[in-house]
Amino acid sequence: MAKKDIAIVGYHETKIDVNTGRSPLDFAGEVLDGLLGQTGLEKDAIDGFAVCSAMSGMSTPFWSVVVSDYLGMELNWCQQVDIGGSSPLGAVARAGSAIRDGQCEIVFVLGADSQSSQNLSNPRGWQPEFQIPVGLMGPPGAFGFITNRYDGVYGLDLKALAKIAIAQRGHAVMNENAYEKFRKPITEDDYLNSRMISDPVRLLDCVMPCDGGNGVIVMSTERAKALGFSKMVHPIGFGERDNHGVNNPDTDILETGHCVAGPKALAQAGMTVDDVDMFQPYDDFIIAVMLQMENIGFCERGQGCAYVMDTDLTHTGNLPLNTSGGQISAGQAGLAGGGTNLVEAVRQLMGEAGERQVAGASNAMVTGIGAIPYLRNWSCSTVMILEAG
Amino acid sequence: MSDQEIPPRPAPVPTNFSQPFWDGAKEKKFMLQYCLDTGKFQFFPRPNSLYTGRRNLEWREASGDGTVYSFTVTRRAPPAFRGREPYVIGSIQLAEGPRMMAEIIGAQYEDIKIGAKVRIAWEEINEDFNYPVFELVE
Repeated sequence: MAKKDIAIVGYHETKIDVNTGRSPLDFAGEVLDGLLGQTGLEKDAIDGFAVCSAMSGMSTPFWSVVVSDYLGMELNWCQQVDIGGSSPLGAVARAGSAIRDGQCEIVFVLGADSQSSQNLSNPRGWQPEFQIPVGLMGPPGAFGFITNRYDGVYGLDLKALAKIAIAQRGHAVMNENAYEKFRKPITEDDYLNSRMISDPVRLLDCVMPCDGGNGVIVMSTERAKALGFSKMVHPIGFGERDNHGVNNPDTDILETGHCVAGPKALAQAGMTVDDVDMFQPYDDFIIAVMLQMENIGFCERGQGCAYVMDTDLTHTGNLPLNTSGGQISAGQAGLAGGGTNLVEAVRQLMGEAGERQVAGASNAMVTGIGAIPYLRNWSCSTVMILEAG
Repeated sequence: MSDQEIPPRPAPVPTNFSQPFWDGAKEKKFMLQYCLDTGKFQFFPRPNSLYTGRRNLEWREASGDGTVYSFTVTRRAPPAFRGREPYVIGSIQLAEGPRMMAEIIGAQYEDIKIGAKVRIAWEEINEDFNYPVFELVE
Protein backbone atom coordinates (compact mmCIF):
# COMPACT_ATOMS: atom_id res chain seq x y z
CA MET A 1 0.00 0.00 0.00
CA ALA A 2 1.49 3.29 -1.09
CA LYS A 3 2.20 5.87 1.61
CA LYS A 4 0.39 9.17 1.19
CA ASP A 5 1.62 10.77 4.40
CA ILE A 6 3.79 13.39 2.63
CA ALA A 7 2.38 16.19 0.48
CA ILE A 8 3.67 18.77 -1.96
CA VAL A 9 1.37 21.75 -1.53
CA GLY A 10 2.97 24.38 -3.73
CA TYR A 11 5.21 24.84 -6.75
CA HIS A 12 6.82 27.74 -8.52
CA GLU A 13 9.22 28.25 -11.38
CA THR A 14 10.73 31.28 -13.06
CA LYS A 15 10.91 32.03 -16.73
CA ILE A 16 13.92 30.22 -18.21
CA ASP A 17 16.31 32.47 -20.11
CA VAL A 18 19.91 32.73 -21.32
CA ASN A 19 22.70 35.03 -20.12
CA THR A 20 20.45 36.94 -17.75
CA GLY A 21 23.34 38.19 -15.63
CA ARG A 22 21.17 37.43 -12.60
CA SER A 23 22.61 35.83 -9.47
CA PRO A 24 21.19 32.41 -8.57
CA LEU A 25 20.26 34.07 -5.26
CA ASP A 26 17.92 36.33 -7.18
CA PHE A 27 16.23 33.31 -8.81
CA ALA A 28 16.02 31.75 -5.34
CA GLY A 29 14.28 34.85 -4.05
CA GLU A 30 11.83 34.88 -6.94
CA VAL A 31 10.94 31.23 -6.29
CA LEU A 32 10.42 31.80 -2.56
CA ASP A 33 8.23 34.83 -3.24
CA GLY A 34 6.16 32.83 -5.71
CA LEU A 35 5.73 29.92 -3.30
CA LEU A 36 4.66 32.16 -0.40
CA GLY A 37 2.18 33.91 -2.66
CA GLN A 38 0.73 30.66 -3.99
CA THR A 39 0.49 28.80 -0.67
CA GLY A 40 -0.33 31.71 1.65
CA LEU A 41 2.34 30.43 4.04
CA GLU A 42 4.36 32.88 6.12
CA LYS A 43 8.10 32.67 5.50
CA ASP A 44 8.77 31.80 9.14
CA ALA A 45 6.55 28.71 8.93
CA ILE A 46 9.29 27.11 6.81
CA ASP A 47 11.74 25.27 9.06
CA GLY A 48 13.47 23.00 6.55
CA PHE A 49 15.49 23.82 3.45
CA ALA A 50 17.07 21.64 0.78
CA VAL A 51 18.85 23.26 -2.14
CA CYS A 52 20.32 21.65 -5.24
CA SER A 53 23.96 22.41 -5.90
CA ALA A 54 24.58 24.97 -8.63
CA MET A 55 27.13 25.70 -11.35
CA SER A 56 26.92 29.42 -10.55
CA GLY A 57 27.35 31.27 -7.30
CA MET A 58 28.56 28.43 -5.15
CA SER A 59 32.32 28.36 -4.99
CA THR A 60 31.53 28.15 -1.29
CA PRO A 61 31.15 24.80 0.49
CA PHE A 62 28.40 26.42 2.59
CA TRP A 63 25.86 26.93 -0.20
CA SER A 64 22.69 25.86 1.61
CA VAL A 65 23.55 28.06 4.59
CA VAL A 66 24.37 31.07 2.43
CA VAL A 67 21.22 30.84 0.30
CA SER A 68 18.91 30.37 3.29
CA ASP A 69 20.65 33.25 5.09
CA TYR A 70 20.02 35.54 2.12
CA LEU A 71 16.36 34.47 2.20
CA GLY A 72 16.06 35.15 5.92
CA MET A 73 15.15 31.62 6.91
CA GLU A 74 15.69 30.32 10.44
CA LEU A 75 15.81 26.53 10.14
CA ASN A 76 15.83 23.20 11.93
CA TRP A 77 17.06 21.27 8.87
CA CYS A 78 19.31 22.61 6.12
CA GLN A 79 21.13 20.77 3.39
CA GLN A 80 22.47 20.79 -0.14
CA VAL A 81 21.72 17.88 -2.44
CA ASP A 82 24.47 17.30 -4.98
CA ILE A 83 23.41 14.38 -7.16
CA GLY A 84 23.23 16.62 -10.22
CA GLY A 85 19.98 16.59 -12.14
CA SER A 86 18.71 13.95 -9.73
CA SER A 87 18.88 16.48 -6.89
CA PRO A 88 15.33 17.92 -6.92
CA LEU A 89 13.71 14.47 -6.64
CA GLY A 90 16.38 13.41 -4.15
CA ALA A 91 15.65 16.54 -2.12
CA VAL A 92 11.89 15.85 -2.03
CA ALA A 93 12.56 12.27 -0.90
CA ARG A 94 15.05 13.37 1.76
CA ALA A 95 12.64 16.07 2.93
CA GLY A 96 9.92 13.45 3.31
CA SER A 97 12.19 11.29 5.43
CA ALA A 98 13.23 14.24 7.60
CA ILE A 99 9.59 15.25 8.14
CA ARG A 100 8.62 11.67 9.06
CA ASP A 101 11.53 11.61 11.50
CA GLY A 102 10.47 14.86 13.15
CA GLN A 103 13.57 16.83 12.18
CA CYS A 104 11.48 19.56 10.55
CA GLU A 105 7.89 20.21 9.51
CA ILE A 106 7.72 22.38 6.40
CA VAL A 107 10.48 22.15 3.79
CA PHE A 108 11.33 24.47 0.92
CA VAL A 109 13.01 22.44 -1.86
CA LEU A 110 14.87 24.83 -4.16
CA GLY A 111 16.79 24.70 -7.41
CA ALA A 112 18.34 27.96 -8.64
CA ASP A 113 21.20 28.29 -11.08
CA SER A 114 22.54 30.77 -13.61
CA GLN A 115 24.83 28.42 -15.52
CA SER A 116 24.70 30.38 -18.78
CA SER A 117 25.70 33.59 -16.99
CA GLN A 118 28.36 32.16 -14.71
CA ASN A 119 29.88 28.68 -14.45
CA LEU A 120 32.21 28.24 -11.48
CA SER A 121 32.26 24.44 -11.45
CA ASN A 122 35.66 22.80 -11.63
CA PRO A 123 36.41 19.68 -13.67
CA ARG A 124 35.68 16.67 -11.51
CA GLY A 125 37.89 13.83 -10.33
CA TRP A 126 39.39 11.99 -13.29
CA GLN A 127 38.67 14.70 -15.84
CA PRO A 128 41.87 16.80 -15.66
CA GLU A 129 43.87 13.61 -16.02
CA PHE A 130 41.99 11.20 -18.25
CA GLN A 131 39.34 13.18 -20.13
CA ILE A 132 40.36 16.80 -20.78
CA PRO A 133 43.71 15.86 -22.44
CA VAL A 134 41.80 13.44 -24.71
CA GLY A 135 39.72 16.31 -26.12
CA LEU A 136 36.24 14.92 -25.46
CA MET A 137 33.57 17.57 -26.05
CA GLY A 138 31.91 17.17 -22.66
CA PRO A 139 28.41 15.72 -22.41
CA PRO A 140 27.77 15.55 -26.20
CA GLY A 141 30.93 13.44 -26.48
CA ALA A 142 29.80 11.13 -23.70
CA PHE A 143 26.40 10.73 -25.35
CA GLY A 144 28.21 10.09 -28.64
CA PHE A 145 29.57 6.89 -27.07
CA ILE A 146 26.11 5.93 -25.80
CA THR A 147 24.39 6.65 -29.12
CA ASN A 148 26.92 4.84 -31.32
CA ARG A 149 26.88 1.83 -29.01
CA TYR A 150 23.09 1.75 -29.21
CA ASP A 151 23.23 1.94 -32.98
CA GLY A 152 25.82 -0.84 -33.14
CA VAL A 153 23.99 -3.20 -30.78
CA TYR A 154 20.32 -2.58 -31.60
CA GLY A 155 20.19 -0.24 -34.59
CA LEU A 156 18.93 3.31 -34.15
CA ASP A 157 15.87 4.73 -35.89
CA LEU A 158 16.51 8.46 -36.08
CA LYS A 159 12.82 9.03 -36.79
CA ALA A 160 12.06 7.85 -33.25
CA LEU A 161 14.50 10.34 -31.73
CA ALA A 162 13.05 13.06 -33.95
CA LYS A 163 9.54 12.15 -32.75
CA ILE A 164 10.57 12.69 -29.11
CA ALA A 165 12.18 16.03 -29.98
CA ILE A 166 9.13 17.20 -31.93
CA ALA A 167 6.64 16.18 -29.22
CA GLN A 168 8.57 17.99 -26.50
CA ARG A 169 8.98 21.09 -28.64
CA GLY A 170 5.24 21.13 -29.26
CA HIS A 171 4.73 21.27 -25.50
CA ALA A 172 7.28 24.09 -25.05
CA VAL A 173 5.26 26.19 -27.47
CA MET A 174 2.44 26.07 -24.89
CA ASN A 175 4.75 26.84 -21.93
CA GLU A 176 5.15 30.53 -21.22
CA ASN A 177 8.07 29.80 -18.88
CA ALA A 178 10.09 28.09 -21.64
CA TYR A 179 13.08 29.84 -23.19
CA GLU A 180 11.41 32.15 -25.69
CA LYS A 181 13.49 31.20 -28.74
CA PHE A 182 12.44 27.54 -28.32
CA ARG A 183 8.72 28.35 -28.44
CA LYS A 184 8.23 27.45 -32.08
CA PRO A 185 7.57 23.99 -33.55
CA ILE A 186 10.28 21.89 -35.21
CA THR A 187 9.96 19.28 -37.96
CA GLU A 188 11.61 15.93 -38.54
CA ASP A 189 13.85 17.58 -41.14
CA ASP A 190 14.88 20.26 -38.63
CA TYR A 191 16.00 17.49 -36.27
CA LEU A 192 17.74 15.35 -38.89
CA ASN A 193 19.51 18.32 -40.47
CA SER A 194 20.68 19.98 -37.26
CA ARG A 195 24.45 20.14 -37.21
CA MET A 196 26.61 17.39 -35.75
CA ILE A 197 28.32 18.22 -32.46
CA SER A 198 29.94 14.89 -31.60
CA ASP A 199 28.74 12.22 -34.04
CA PRO A 200 26.10 10.95 -34.00
CA VAL A 201 24.85 13.56 -31.50
CA ARG A 202 23.17 16.52 -33.22
CA LEU A 203 22.48 20.01 -31.91
CA LEU A 204 18.78 19.21 -31.46
CA ASP A 205 19.70 16.18 -29.32
CA CYS A 206 21.30 18.45 -26.75
CA VAL A 207 20.01 20.50 -23.87
CA MET A 208 21.07 24.16 -23.74
CA PRO A 209 22.42 25.63 -20.49
CA CYS A 210 20.23 28.51 -19.28
CA ASP A 211 19.39 30.39 -16.09
CA GLY A 212 16.36 29.84 -13.90
CA GLY A 213 14.88 28.59 -10.67
CA ASN A 214 12.12 26.37 -9.36
CA GLY A 215 10.90 24.91 -6.10
CA VAL A 216 8.22 23.11 -4.13
CA ILE A 217 6.91 23.11 -0.57
CA VAL A 218 6.80 19.75 1.22
CA MET A 219 5.03 18.90 4.50
CA SER A 220 3.11 16.06 6.11
CA THR A 221 -0.31 15.36 4.63
CA GLU A 222 -1.73 15.75 8.13
CA ARG A 223 -0.26 19.23 8.40
CA ALA A 224 -1.39 20.15 4.89
CA LYS A 225 -4.97 19.19 5.73
CA ALA A 226 -4.81 21.06 9.04
CA LEU A 227 -3.67 24.17 7.16
CA GLY A 228 -6.61 23.82 4.80
CA PHE A 229 -4.80 22.96 1.55
CA SER A 230 -7.33 21.58 -0.91
CA LYS A 231 -4.81 20.72 -3.63
CA MET A 232 -1.83 18.50 -2.90
CA VAL A 233 0.36 15.91 -4.58
CA HIS A 234 1.80 12.89 -2.79
CA PRO A 235 5.18 11.33 -3.57
CA ILE A 236 4.10 7.68 -3.29
CA GLY A 237 7.16 5.95 -4.69
CA PHE A 238 10.86 6.76 -4.97
CA GLY A 239 13.94 4.94 -6.18
CA GLU A 240 17.53 6.14 -6.42
CA ARG A 241 20.58 4.42 -7.89
CA ASP A 242 24.00 6.12 -7.90
CA ASN A 243 27.18 4.93 -9.67
CA HIS A 244 25.36 2.03 -11.30
CA GLY A 245 27.88 -0.48 -12.67
CA VAL A 246 30.95 1.28 -11.26
CA ASN A 247 32.56 -1.94 -10.06
CA ASN A 248 31.95 -3.87 -13.27
CA PRO A 249 34.59 -3.13 -15.92
CA ASP A 250 32.33 -4.71 -18.55
CA THR A 251 29.27 -2.68 -17.58
CA ASP A 252 26.77 -1.98 -20.36
CA ILE A 253 26.82 1.73 -21.24
CA LEU A 254 23.17 1.37 -22.31
CA GLU A 255 22.07 0.18 -18.87
CA THR A 256 21.00 3.05 -16.63
CA GLY A 257 20.47 3.07 -12.88
CA HIS A 258 16.78 3.56 -13.70
CA CYS A 259 16.57 -0.21 -14.19
CA VAL A 260 16.89 -0.40 -10.39
CA ALA A 261 15.28 2.91 -9.36
CA GLY A 262 12.25 2.54 -11.65
CA PRO A 263 10.97 -0.85 -10.46
CA LYS A 264 11.64 0.20 -6.84
CA ALA A 265 9.57 3.37 -7.18
CA LEU A 266 6.77 1.51 -8.97
CA ALA A 267 6.70 -1.23 -6.32
CA GLN A 268 6.44 1.33 -3.53
CA ALA A 269 3.59 3.01 -5.36
CA GLY A 270 1.88 -0.33 -5.97
CA MET A 271 1.88 0.33 -9.70
CA THR A 272 3.17 -1.01 -13.00
CA VAL A 273 4.28 1.06 -15.99
CA ASP A 274 0.83 0.49 -17.51
CA ASP A 275 -0.65 2.57 -14.68
CA VAL A 276 1.54 5.64 -15.40
CA ASP A 277 -0.64 8.55 -16.61
CA MET A 278 2.19 10.81 -17.77
CA PHE A 279 5.97 10.56 -18.08
CA GLN A 280 8.09 13.58 -17.09
CA PRO A 281 11.64 12.24 -17.47
CA TYR A 282 14.88 14.17 -17.08
CA ASP A 283 16.08 14.99 -20.59
CA ASP A 284 19.61 16.20 -21.14
CA PHE A 285 19.82 14.36 -24.47
CA ILE A 286 16.97 12.98 -26.56
CA ILE A 287 18.26 9.40 -26.42
CA ALA A 288 18.25 9.58 -22.59
CA VAL A 289 14.44 9.71 -22.72
CA MET A 290 14.32 6.50 -24.77
CA LEU A 291 16.92 4.72 -22.60
CA GLN A 292 14.82 5.51 -19.54
CA MET A 293 11.71 4.08 -21.22
CA GLU A 294 13.65 0.86 -21.80
CA ASN A 295 15.33 0.65 -18.42
CA ILE A 296 12.22 1.50 -16.37
CA GLY A 297 10.32 -1.13 -18.33
CA PHE A 298 7.89 0.70 -20.63
CA CYS A 299 9.37 -1.59 -23.30
CA GLU A 300 12.10 -4.21 -23.69
CA ARG A 301 15.75 -3.18 -23.97
CA GLY A 302 16.50 -2.45 -27.60
CA GLN A 303 12.82 -1.85 -28.44
CA GLY A 304 12.79 1.84 -27.54
CA CYS A 305 12.57 3.12 -31.11
CA ALA A 306 9.65 0.85 -31.97
CA TYR A 307 7.93 1.77 -28.70
CA VAL A 308 8.29 5.49 -29.41
CA MET A 309 6.97 5.09 -32.96
CA ASP A 310 3.92 3.23 -31.58
CA THR A 311 3.17 5.73 -28.79
CA ASP A 312 1.45 9.12 -28.87
CA LEU A 313 3.71 11.30 -26.71
CA THR A 314 1.69 14.50 -26.94
CA HIS A 315 -0.32 15.88 -24.02
CA THR A 316 -3.45 14.29 -25.47
CA GLY A 317 -1.71 10.99 -26.21
CA ASN A 318 -1.49 7.65 -24.41
CA LEU A 319 1.83 8.54 -22.71
CA PRO A 320 2.13 12.33 -22.44
CA LEU A 321 5.85 13.15 -22.39
CA ASN A 322 7.48 16.18 -20.75
CA THR A 323 4.40 18.31 -21.12
CA SER A 324 6.19 21.62 -20.50
CA GLY A 325 8.77 20.85 -23.18
CA GLY A 326 11.33 19.14 -21.00
CA GLN A 327 14.67 20.79 -20.54
CA ILE A 328 15.67 20.26 -24.16
CA SER A 329 12.84 22.49 -25.36
CA ALA A 330 12.22 24.68 -22.28
CA GLY A 331 15.92 25.24 -21.58
CA GLN A 332 18.10 23.77 -18.83
CA ALA A 333 18.22 25.98 -15.76
CA GLY A 334 21.69 24.65 -14.90
CA LEU A 335 21.62 22.16 -12.04
CA ALA A 336 18.13 23.42 -11.17
CA GLY A 337 16.99 21.83 -14.42
CA GLY A 338 15.87 18.63 -12.72
CA GLY A 339 13.13 20.66 -11.08
CA THR A 340 11.54 21.71 -14.38
CA ASN A 341 9.93 18.31 -14.93
CA LEU A 342 9.06 17.94 -11.22
CA VAL A 343 7.24 21.28 -11.14
CA GLU A 344 5.38 20.42 -14.34
CA ALA A 345 4.18 17.12 -12.87
CA VAL A 346 2.91 18.87 -9.74
CA ARG A 347 1.23 21.58 -11.84
CA GLN A 348 -0.46 18.94 -14.01
CA LEU A 349 -1.68 16.95 -11.00
CA MET A 350 -3.16 20.12 -9.48
CA GLY A 351 -4.99 20.66 -12.78
CA GLU A 352 -3.30 24.00 -13.48
CA ALA A 353 -1.48 23.29 -16.77
CA GLY A 354 -3.82 25.36 -18.95
CA GLU A 355 -3.94 24.46 -22.64
CA ARG A 356 -1.46 21.60 -22.19
CA GLN A 357 -3.40 20.03 -19.31
CA VAL A 358 -3.48 16.23 -19.49
CA ALA A 359 -7.11 15.21 -19.07
CA GLY A 360 -8.00 12.80 -16.29
CA ALA A 361 -4.47 12.19 -15.04
CA SER A 362 -4.13 11.11 -11.41
CA ASN A 363 -0.43 10.29 -11.34
CA ALA A 364 2.90 11.09 -12.97
CA MET A 365 6.30 9.47 -13.18
CA VAL A 366 9.15 11.97 -12.84
CA THR A 367 12.83 11.07 -13.17
CA GLY A 368 16.25 12.54 -12.57
CA ILE A 369 19.65 12.03 -14.21
CA GLY A 370 22.78 13.34 -12.56
CA ALA A 371 26.42 13.66 -13.55
CA ILE A 372 28.38 11.94 -16.29
CA PRO A 373 30.95 9.34 -15.24
CA TYR A 374 33.97 7.96 -17.10
CA LEU A 375 32.71 5.82 -20.01
CA ARG A 376 29.71 4.42 -18.21
CA ASN A 377 26.07 5.40 -18.39
CA TRP A 378 25.12 8.45 -16.25
CA SER A 379 26.05 8.55 -12.55
CA CYS A 380 22.81 9.21 -10.65
CA SER A 381 19.33 7.95 -11.47
CA THR A 382 16.11 8.78 -9.62
CA VAL A 383 12.47 7.90 -10.23
CA MET A 384 9.52 9.35 -8.31
CA ILE A 385 5.82 8.57 -8.63
CA LEU A 386 3.52 11.45 -7.76
CA GLU A 387 -0.20 11.04 -7.13
CA ALA A 388 -2.84 13.73 -6.95
CA GLY A 389 -4.26 14.02 -3.44
CA MET B 1 46.45 24.80 -40.25
CA SER B 2 49.67 22.75 -40.36
CA ASP B 3 50.58 20.24 -37.67
CA GLN B 4 53.31 22.56 -36.36
CA GLU B 5 50.78 25.23 -35.45
CA ILE B 6 48.57 22.94 -33.37
CA PRO B 7 49.48 23.25 -29.69
CA PRO B 8 50.05 20.09 -27.64
CA ARG B 9 47.28 18.54 -25.59
CA PRO B 10 46.76 20.03 -22.14
CA ALA B 11 49.06 18.15 -19.75
CA PRO B 12 47.30 15.82 -17.30
CA VAL B 13 47.12 16.68 -13.61
CA PRO B 14 48.16 13.53 -11.72
CA THR B 15 47.15 12.58 -8.20
CA ASN B 16 49.60 11.02 -5.76
CA PHE B 17 48.07 7.59 -6.38
CA SER B 18 48.03 7.86 -10.18
CA GLN B 19 51.68 8.96 -10.53
CA PRO B 20 52.90 5.41 -11.36
CA PHE B 21 50.75 5.50 -14.51
CA TRP B 22 52.58 8.64 -15.71
CA ASP B 23 55.98 7.33 -14.63
CA GLY B 24 55.30 4.32 -16.85
CA ALA B 25 53.97 6.46 -19.69
CA LYS B 26 57.19 8.48 -19.71
CA GLU B 27 58.97 5.24 -20.68
CA LYS B 28 56.09 4.24 -22.99
CA LYS B 29 55.06 1.50 -20.59
CA PHE B 30 51.30 1.09 -20.19
CA MET B 31 50.72 0.49 -16.47
CA LEU B 32 47.43 -0.59 -14.91
CA GLN B 33 46.37 -1.19 -11.33
CA TYR B 34 45.80 -4.86 -10.50
CA CYS B 35 43.71 -6.12 -7.57
CA LEU B 36 45.61 -8.98 -5.94
CA ASP B 37 42.48 -10.27 -4.16
CA THR B 38 40.27 -10.64 -7.24
CA GLY B 39 42.81 -10.87 -10.07
CA LYS B 40 41.11 -7.99 -11.91
CA PHE B 41 42.58 -4.85 -13.46
CA GLN B 42 41.08 -1.38 -13.09
CA PHE B 43 41.27 1.96 -14.89
CA PHE B 44 41.36 4.92 -14.13
CA PRO B 45 43.67 4.71 -11.10
CA ARG B 46 41.94 4.77 -7.72
CA PRO B 47 43.09 4.74 -4.11
CA ASN B 48 41.43 1.36 -3.47
CA SER B 49 40.34 -1.74 -5.36
CA LEU B 50 37.05 -1.12 -7.18
CA TYR B 51 36.12 -4.69 -6.38
CA THR B 52 36.94 -5.13 -2.70
CA GLY B 53 37.39 -1.63 -1.29
CA ARG B 54 40.75 -2.76 0.08
CA ARG B 55 44.15 -1.39 -0.88
CA ASN B 56 45.74 -4.67 -1.89
CA LEU B 57 46.78 -3.31 -5.30
CA GLU B 58 49.88 -3.38 -7.45
CA TRP B 59 50.87 -1.86 -10.80
CA ARG B 60 51.39 -4.23 -13.75
CA GLU B 61 52.38 -3.53 -17.32
CA ALA B 62 49.44 -4.10 -19.69
CA SER B 63 49.53 -5.43 -23.25
CA GLY B 64 48.32 -2.26 -24.93
CA ASP B 65 45.84 -4.29 -26.98
CA GLY B 66 42.17 -3.44 -27.12
CA THR B 67 38.99 -3.31 -29.13
CA VAL B 68 36.58 -0.46 -29.84
CA TYR B 69 33.58 -0.61 -27.48
CA SER B 70 32.15 2.63 -28.83
CA PHE B 71 33.36 5.83 -30.46
CA THR B 72 32.49 9.38 -31.39
CA VAL B 73 34.01 12.07 -33.56
CA THR B 74 34.56 15.56 -32.24
CA ARG B 75 33.57 18.13 -34.84
CA ARG B 76 33.29 21.07 -32.45
CA ALA B 77 36.25 20.80 -30.09
CA PRO B 78 36.98 22.30 -26.69
CA PRO B 79 39.08 25.49 -27.06
CA ALA B 80 42.43 23.77 -26.41
CA PHE B 81 41.78 21.40 -29.33
CA ARG B 82 40.64 23.88 -31.99
CA GLY B 83 42.40 23.12 -35.24
CA ARG B 84 42.54 19.38 -34.60
CA GLU B 85 38.92 18.68 -35.61
CA PRO B 86 37.58 16.35 -36.68
CA TYR B 87 39.14 13.64 -34.53
CA VAL B 88 37.89 10.26 -33.39
CA ILE B 89 37.70 9.31 -29.70
CA GLY B 90 37.17 5.71 -28.70
CA SER B 91 35.90 3.92 -25.64
CA ILE B 92 38.55 1.21 -25.80
CA GLN B 93 37.94 -2.15 -24.15
CA LEU B 94 41.42 -3.16 -23.02
CA ALA B 95 42.49 -6.81 -23.32
CA GLU B 96 42.89 -6.75 -19.52
CA GLY B 97 39.20 -5.83 -19.04
CA PRO B 98 38.78 -2.14 -18.18
CA ARG B 99 37.76 0.54 -20.67
CA MET B 100 39.80 3.60 -21.51
CA MET B 101 38.96 6.83 -23.33
CA ALA B 102 41.53 7.78 -25.97
CA GLU B 103 41.90 9.35 -29.38
CA ILE B 104 42.15 6.84 -32.21
CA ILE B 105 44.79 8.58 -34.26
CA GLY B 106 45.12 8.43 -38.03
CA ALA B 107 41.57 7.12 -38.40
CA GLN B 108 38.53 8.42 -40.22
CA TYR B 109 35.13 8.13 -38.54
CA GLU B 110 33.93 5.96 -41.41
CA ASP B 111 36.79 3.48 -40.80
CA ILE B 112 35.82 2.70 -37.21
CA LYS B 113 33.47 -0.08 -36.20
CA ILE B 114 32.54 -1.51 -32.84
CA GLY B 115 34.87 -4.44 -32.19
CA ALA B 116 37.73 -3.05 -34.33
CA LYS B 117 41.17 -3.99 -32.98
CA VAL B 118 43.39 -1.18 -31.72
CA ARG B 119 46.79 -0.90 -30.12
CA ILE B 120 48.27 1.73 -27.84
CA ALA B 121 50.67 4.41 -29.05
CA TRP B 122 52.06 7.42 -27.22
CA GLU B 123 51.89 11.11 -28.01
CA GLU B 124 54.46 13.34 -26.37
CA ILE B 125 52.96 16.40 -24.65
CA ASN B 126 56.18 17.67 -23.07
CA GLU B 127 59.31 16.19 -21.50
CA ASP B 128 57.32 14.99 -18.48
CA PHE B 129 54.27 13.48 -20.14
CA ASN B 130 53.53 10.98 -22.87
CA TYR B 131 49.78 10.66 -23.40
CA PRO B 132 48.10 7.40 -24.44
CA VAL B 133 46.44 7.27 -27.86
CA PHE B 134 45.41 4.24 -29.94
CA GLU B 135 45.85 3.17 -33.54
CA LEU B 136 43.75 0.81 -35.63
CA VAL B 137 45.42 -2.60 -36.16
CA GLU B 138 45.07 -3.96 -39.68
